[in-house]
Amino acid sequence: MTLSLHHFLMLSAIIFGIGVYGALTRRNVLGILMSIELMFNAATINIVAFNHFLYPDKVWGQGVVIFVMTLAAAEAVVGLSLVLAIYRNIKSVYTEKLNLLHG
Amino acid sequence: MERTLPTLIFACMAILLIGLSLIVVTARSVFRGAVALTAALGVVAALFALLGADFVAASQLLIYVGGIMIIMLFVIMLSQRPLDHLDRQTNEQWVWGAFFALAISCALIMQFRAVYRGVFVTTVATPTTASIGRLLLGDMVVPFEAVSLVLLAALVGAVYFGLDGKDRT
Repeated sequence: MTLSLHHFLMLSAIIFGIGVYGALTRRNVLGILMSIELMFNAATINIVAFNHFLYPDKVWGQGVVIFVMTLAAAEAVVGLSLVLAIYRNIKSVYTEKLNLLHG
Repeated sequence: MERTLPTLIFACMAILLIGLSLIVVTARSVFRGAVALTAALGVVAALFALLGADFVAASQLLIYVGGIMIIMLFVIMLSQRPLDHLDRQTNEQWVWGAFFALAISCALIMQFRAVYRGVFVTTVATPTTASIGRLLLGDMVVPFEAVSLVLLAALVGAVYFGLDGKDRT
């Protein structure tokens, strides 16, 4: 059995679903951030697989993946500093405690 | 033999990646979840190498495993209280969450199986670092410069949110 494109795509779909589950159900803000990183990685597997199987002589997909990685790093840095600022103010990282704007 | 070996490697990687991702979203201790996520990102780098993307695999290891996950582990260690791991880590909506995640996964899998089944590649993978460099400084130079502005903004924002309230003017 030879590897085909849909094997990689199916694996990334499963990883994306697991990430969606984590982002919807985690109580901890850090857990939600980690699930979002999982979803990013599912998307990048998709892009690299499309590049490898459909356009093997070009590298545009890999260039896009480099940008996705850079933006994920920026997102993680800002998100984590926000988490630290929230923790300093209300001493908790659980989402149900973040109801200051709830009225 | 040269056909079944990549398939075998892919099967091992897939099982490992799915198991580690399940640990990431279900582990009671967030620290354990972060360690599992580090391993999962390493497996994704191995998948990139299997797909012939050597430079992207190396950057994945450097940026994600070496950079983002170290920051994340630091923040977890700075923001946990001692008895946090005894608490429940999921909210009350886990049934609906599992339903939606399963629905999205099944829809994507069925679509991918229907459209992209049997797309094979015949060429041999070659090193891509030189062509990625030419692409980034050639056709992609505008997003390349734009992303440096984004990184600068993220740096300033992180320093700003990291300041204490009284230092912020």
